[in-house]
Amino acid sequence: MLASLFLIGAVFATPQMSVQAASQTIVENSSDGMTRAVNRMLGGIITYVRWPDGRAAAPRTMCLVGTPRLTASIAPDIPGERRVIVRRTTAGGAMTGGGCDILFLGRMPGDERRRLIEWVRGEPTLTITDDDPACRTGAMFCLARKPAGLSFSVNLDAIGRGPLRVDPRVLKIGGADGGAS
Amino acid sequence: MTDRAPRRTTLQKLLSRFHFGITLFAVALSGITILLAGITAMRGYADRNIELAAQLGAYGVEPALVFNDPQAAREGLKPLMKIPGIAHLRVLDDRGHPLVEWRSPTEDPAPVLTRIFFPEPFAMTVRRNGSAIGTIEVWGDSTTLTDYVRIGMLAGLACLLITALGTIALARRFEYELVKPLNEIATVAHDVRLHRRFDKRVTSLSIAELDRLGGDINALLDELEGWQGHMEDERAVLAHRAAHDPLTTMPNRSAFDEQLKRRLEAAAQQHHRFALLFIDVDNFKAVNDGFGHAAGDAVLVAMATQIKAALRSGDFAARIGGDEFVVIIDPIDPTVLPAALVERIRASVAEPIALPGGQHHGTAISVGAALYPDDGRDAAALLTAADAAMYADKLRHRS
Repeated sequence: MLASLFLIGAVFATPQMSVQAASQTIVENSSDGMTRAVNRMLGGIITYVRWPDGRAAAPRTMCLVGTPRLTASIAPDIPGERRVIVRRTTAGGAMTGGGCDILFLGRMPGDERRRLIEWVRGEPTLTITDDDPACRTGAMFCLARKPAGLSFSVNLDAIGRGPLRVDPRVLKIGGADGGAS
Repeated sequence: MTDRAPRRTTLQKLLSRFHFGITLFAVALSGITILLAGITAMRGYADRNIELAAQLGAYGVEPALVFNDPQAAREGLKPLMKIPGIAHLRVLDDRGHPLVEWRSPTEDPAPVLTRIFFPEPFAMTVRRNGSAIGTIEVWGDSTTLTDYVRIGMLAGLACLLITALGTIALARRFEYELVKPLNEIATVAHDVRLHRRFDKRVTSLSIAELDRLGGDINALLDELEGWQGHMEDERAVLAHRAAHDPLTTMPNRSAFDEQLKRRLEAAAQQHHRFALLFIDVDNFKAVNDGFGHAAGDAVLVAMATQIKAALRSGDFAARIGGDEFVVIIDPIDPTVLPAALVERIRASVAEPIALPGGQHHGTAISVGAALYPDDGRDAAALLTAADAAMYADKLRHRS
C-alpha cells in the first residue's frame, strides 16, 4: 500500500518529492491558535470534498470518535453559510447509528480504529484523524503538528476506494508529504 | 557661372526626388499605422494574457488561501511563473497580508513600455463559496510587447526597403519613358542649331503630347529647310551675277582679278609658268556704229564662245571691258612660245561672225601675251606687259 501511495503521490506532485511540500498552515502564537488552525483546516478540507448525493450546501454531520489530540474543541470553520454539526459518539454508535458524513478519529484503541476503517470502506464518509502523523492506518486525511505549524497528509489509497470526490488541488497539497514519508 | 545664376536640375532628378518623397511618405504612413494597430492588438492580448494568468493563479492558490499555506500558495503560482510577460506576482489573504510574493528573475527589457502599458497590477479576488478569501495581483512586463515591436520594426524596415526599391525602379522606368523622348527632341533641336542639319527629324514618340510637340518641330524644320534651300539658291545666283558678265556669261573683271591672284600664288609655290593673253577686238566701234548695238553684242557673244572653245578646261577667260578679253593659259609647256599662243587664239576667232541682220562680219583681234615669271611676277607687271604687247600688235595691224 505504501508503494502504491508513493506512486500515486509521485504522479500528482512530480519533482518536489524531497521537499516538505505538504500543507503547512501557519499557527498563530496565541492560546487558542492551534484550535483555530485545526478548525480552519478541517473546514478547508470539508469544503473541497464532494459527497455523492450532490447537495453541496447541505449541512454535514461530523461524528467525533475517540479523543482529539491537537485540540479539545473540534468545530470546523467554514466560510459562508454551510454548516457542520459535530456529534460525539463511539465506534459502535457511529457504525450502527449511521448519519455520519464525516468521521473524526481521535486517539482510540487500534482494533477499534481498524474496525471503523473497515466499516467505512465504500461508505460516503470522509475520515479524518489527528492521531496518525504518518497516515498509515487508513484515514483519508491525517492532521499533524509540525515544527513550523500544522499540516495535513492525504491517503490517496483510502480516498480512491471511497465514493467521495476530493478536489485534486487539495490532494496535491497534502499528497506529497503523505506519499513521501 | 555667377552665384546669382539659378541652380538647374534635370527632369530626371526632379521626378526621382518627387517619387521618392511620395513613396517614403506612403510607406511610413502605412508602416506606422500597422505598427500602432499591432501594438494596440498586442496590448489587448497581453491584458487578456495577464487576466487569464490571474484566473489560473486564483484557481491554483485557492486551497492554499483556505489552508493559509504559503508553501502551497507558491506551488499554486508555479504555472504562472513560466508564462512570459509576467514580472511580479503577489497573493494576499483575506486580511490583506501578503501570503506569498514572486518576482521574475529575468530583467524587464523595456521599463518604459511596461510603465506605459502596465502601470498597475491586475488584481483578482479569490472566492470560495461566494466569500472573498484573498486577492491575487499580477504585474505584467514588456517582454511580449518588445518582441512584437522588434519583429514589427524589422518587418517594417524590410517592407520599407522593398517598397522603396520597387518604387524607385518604377520611377526610373517612368522617368526613362518620359525623359527619353524629351531627350530625342532636344538632340534634334541641338543638331539643327549647331550643325545646320536641317534634314534631321524627330521620330514618332509613344507619348501623345510629346509626339505632337515632335510633329510641330518637324513641320517647323520642314519650313526652315525650305527657306534655307531658297536662300542658298538666291545667294548662288547673286554670287554668279556679281562675278560674271551678263551678256557673254563670262567671268568679269573682279572675278578675273581674284583668279589671277590665286594663279600667281599657286605658280609661285609650284614654280610653274603660265601665260596671260590680252585680247582686243579691232574696229569694234565701227561694228557698233555701222550695224547697231545688237550686232556689236552678237560679235562679243560669238567672240566669247570662240575663245572658250579654244581653251583647255584648266584655262580661264574673262571679259574685262567693252571689247577687251583676258585669257590665262595655265600651265604652259616651257617650250611653248608666246607668239604661238597668240596665233592659236587669233586662228580660233578667224571665222566670220553671223550678224542679226543676216550679214557676216570678219572680225580681227589684237592679242598681247605676257609670261609668268618671265614678263613679271605680280598682277600689275603681267597686265602691263600683256597690255603693251597687245598695243604693239594693234599698231602693227593699223600700219
